[in-house]
Amino acid sequence: MNGPGDFERELERELHRILDPIAAAPIPLRKVPSGAMARRLLGGAGVALGLKLATGVAIAAFAAAAIGTTTEVAVTGSLNPADWGQQVKTTVTDCKAKLAAGQHGIGDCVSDFAKQHGDLVSDQHSKGNDGTGGTTGGSTNGSSNGSTNSAGHRPTPAPGKSGTHTPQAH
Amino acid sequence: MPEYHPGSEADFERLYRNSYRRILGTLITMLRDRAAAEDCTQDTFERAYKAWKSWRPDAPAEAWLHRIAINTAINGQRRERLQEVGAVLRRIGRPVEPTDPAAVVERSDVLDALRKLPPKQAAAIVLRHYHGYSNREIGIALGVPERTVASRLAAARARLQQLLEGSRGAPNKNG
Repeated sequence: MNGPGDFERELERELHRILDPIAAAPIPLRKVPSGAMARRLLGGAGVALGLKLATGVAIAAFAAAAIGTTTEVAVTGSLNPADWGQQVKTTVTDCKAKLAAGQHGIGDCVSDFAKQHGDLVSDQHSKGNDGTGGTTGGSTNGSSNGSTNSAGHRPTPAPGKSGTHTPQAH
Repeated sequence: MPEYHPGSEADFERLYRNSYRRILGTLITMLRDRAAAEDCTQDTFERAYKAWKSWRPDAPAEAWLHRIAINTAINGQRRERLQEVGAVLRRIGRPVEPTDPAAVVERSDVLDALRKLPPKQAAAIVLRHYHGYSNREIGIALGVPERTVASRLAAARARLQQLLEGSRGAPNKNG
């Protein structure tokens, strides 16, 4: 090494000797951040798919709630889920009180109540199918729903919105 | 110079393929072994990917990558030094584990001397004398104004020469 030029040339030679074999090695796959992987795989379709999934889940949840409400009303005659349970509890207590000392078994007593209740609910259910129930489907018009459903739960859209255009994702 | 568009997935992949080896080469001169340099290179591209949308094409993409790589290496070295203290304390009294030969870059006086320089000086030397960067590109990579680069390079070369002469003049420890 005599001058700065010589030193620089030696430096360059040495760097190439060490680093050139590394430059010839194959390039590994790039490590992708976990969140970015899903975006890369799905891209724009992923967003649309996500929206469809979210919509599907919302519809399924709504349908399950509607079915649950209908079944509950059909069985208890009331929207309040505590009603049927409370009536059964009261009946069981009454039946136990009616038993004479030393007697066992309240099955018949409770069974009578259940039968009466079933007949009552069956009547109400059949009336509901005539189009006056308002909670069993969305086919009835707004006025009948408004008069018979005091809770105001309506699965169908508000009448004013039926004519408006809602943008749909395609 | 290849053209890249910020935020473009395909362009980032192209940038990765075009720059991976050069970034790795720079990091090997700064870090102790190849495995550490490879990890640091991947970390560099991971960080760059997160900032890819905000990259401005007025700066060369590879110089921008080098800036991320150099900062990642410096931060990694700081962490490593802290970990080394803990590792030394844990190793006391235990036999020394053999080093994997494949993980070690060929021994070189120049590399040894480069690693004794401040990291940004070592990087400046590699960027100029291996990658052939201009002062402007080195300025972007080091995060310093272009006019500072020449003086830093001169200081780095002088120090490196001093270190190499010292190591060659010293008796060989290995016999």
